[in-house]
Amino acid sequence: MRQPELDPLRALVQRDQDHECEGFGAARTCVRVVAVADLPTRFGHFRLVGFWNNRDAKEHVAMVHGEVVGGEEVPVRLHSECLTGDVMGSLRCDCRDQLTEGLAAIRRHERGVLLYLRQEGRGIGLINKIRAYALQEAGLDTVEANLALGFRDDERDYAVGAHMIHSLGIRSIRLITNNPNKVAQLTQHRVVVSDRIPHVIQPNEFNRFYLETKARKSGHYLEAGGAGRLQEQADPAVVAREAGQEPKA
Amino acid sequence: MTRREGSRVLVLGAGVAGLSCARALADAGRPVEVLERARGVGGRCATRRVEGQPVDFGVAFLHGRDPGFLAALAEVPARRLDGWPVAMLGAGRPCQPEAFTPGESRLAFAEGISAFPRHLAAGLPVTLRANAVAVEPEGAALRVRLEGGGAAEAPVVVLALAAEQAHELLGTVPGPPPAVASARALLDQARSQACLALIAVYPPEAQPPAWHCCYPDGSRVLQLAVHDSSKRAAPDATVLVLQAHPRWSREHLDDPAWPERLLEEGGRVVGPWAARPRHQEPHSWRHARHDRSAELAAPLLLGLPGGARLGLCGDRFAPGGGVEAAWRSGRALAHRILQEVP
Ligand SMILES: Cc1cc2nc3c(=O)[nH]c(=O)nc-3n(C[C@H](O)[C@H](O)[C@H](O)COP(=O)(O)OP(=O)(O)OC[C@H]3O[C@@H](n4cnc5c(N)ncnc54)[C@H](O)[C@@H]3O)c2cc1C
Ligand SMILES: [Zn+2]
Repeated sequence: MRQPELDPLRALVQRDQDHECEGFGAARTCVRVVAVADLPTRFGHFRLVGFWNNRDAKEHVAMVHGEVVGGEEVPVRLHSECLTGDVMGSLRCDCRDQLTEGLAAIRRHERGVLLYLRQEGRGIGLINKIRAYALQEAGLDTVEANLALGFRDDERDYAVGAHMIHSLGIRSIRLITNNPNKVAQLTQHRVVVSDRIPHVIQPNEFNRFYLETKARKSGHYLEAGGAGRLQEQADPAVVAREAGQEPKA
Repeated sequence: MTRREGSRVLVLGAGVAGLSCARALADAGRPVEVLERARGVGGRCATRRVEGQPVDFGVAFLHGRDPGFLAALAEVPARRLDGWPVAMLGAGRPCQPEAFTPGESRLAFAEGISAFPRHLAAGLPVTLRANAVAVEPEGAALRVRLEGGGAAEAPVVVLALAAEQAHELLGTVPGPPPAVASARALLDQARSQACLALIAVYPPEAQPPAWHCCYPDGSRVLQLAVHDSSKRAAPDATVLVLQAHPRWSREHLDDPAWPERLLEEGGRVVGPWAARPRHQEPHSWRHARHDRSAELAAPLLLGLPGGARLGLCGDRFAPGGGVEAAWRSGRALAHRILQEVP
């Protein structure tokens, strides 16, 4: 472990001890860097940075690869927590593929950050997500019902994400996304987005979600009643036709 | 007089949610009308006079932390009892545990809790004793049929009722359109809890207890005993309100002997004197409140095939539950109506 004075990430913890600003977004959320440690993963070696926030008990984290503090054009991916997808491997959504591909994409660059935004919590969160799935099964899921169940507050994610990027001292980012609106949202929060990197999922034996897409198209279990699927990540899925091939749009 | 413009909004239910919604719409210049089936406003923020003395037999005290909600409470022209309840007895779990967490404000009014809804209603056109029994699309509007034969019509109708009452009324929409079926299915997934409440008035020789609220531990019957008369400026009599546990309440809703059994438990928990009031008034709240497991994030504003809009708000439709959530959900729905319905 490097000495704090030599480790730019650990220096942020000291800097943020009494950080307070007027906050970001409608909820005026303010975050602090509070803990840093190494995190070896099956995707490679990351450093895990823990953030405290002044609004709720959700502990957002950043997975950092390479030297990013003070950096320019740092590849950044925003991922919204999805227990069923990320951990349980649910095929109701493509969150797990989006997460693993996001981490792989960051590792392909010299440096980069994945912001893992916690959103599922008590009350509104996992239980209401199960309720949303139950409505889906009955063919009764609508945009209104999903809104009432707490899906989903992108605005909040962008505000928190923007503050985290500023807290990490990143001067400008290359945003890994297929959603141009994300760029506009972050820009509103004074994040300099120099470039957008398309987020393309490479099909392989593990991302069975896309294999299931065929089943869905033929009216199988994922889209009972033909109603729109819950959009759990703000990114529309873009899949390479074959490994290595860029998609059309 | 300012001219009111935009689509007329008909709000069903004059609880805190309906009134906060109507208030926000009226303040923004929208024509709005409130229909309430009871003889007074407030819903579960309920105060009645017993021998001339106000008694809160629904919510016992208000609590919250939303700056807008606290500002709305600060405008109420009544004697505030800041911090109430202060003196507590018992180590039982409060019905609203977050009421006693740091950062939460608590208060009551000497004139009774209903001072808050009455203030929200001031100046609003509220029709009392108007019980809505059916909602039917009528071209680009919705027609609300009332018990006794009357009807009212508007392009926007808001159901500001307890979730179960809204569920029932949605069941009268013919069809029903997918948006309505979906909303009903949503409300069907989580239920409110019941609360049997008993007002007990004691003879002059009864010494008023030293506590404001008692959450007994180790009782499956009595959840909360409220020393209601301690909120009054110069009470003529000592008054307690006993609230039963949700489970026990549900099991005894149809048991005519529940008041006696609740009193007996009151006597066991707070002292024998409490079992012997000289006067008592029972009230069964079928849909009193819900816990965190049943809360939703936002109100609904459904679009119906003819173009009419049907809104739903109430304590279920904002995080946190209780009066604060009811108030916030009403405001949030008003905001959406102002943005989405010209
Ligand atoms: C005993 C008790 C204790 C409580 N304690 C607390 C507490 O400590 N803290 C807390 O925050 N909350 C507490 N609550 C819950 C709180 O009272 C409610 O969450 C809140 O008042 C709900 O407001 P609302 O406007 O959503 O619904 P309501 O107050 O129920 O308003 C709905 C209104 O609609 C009317 N209505 C119903 N059907 C129709 C119809 N068909 N046509 C016309 N009108 C209709 C009703 O008469 C009522 O006036 C308690 C409730 C009870 C009963
Ligand atoms: Zn997911």
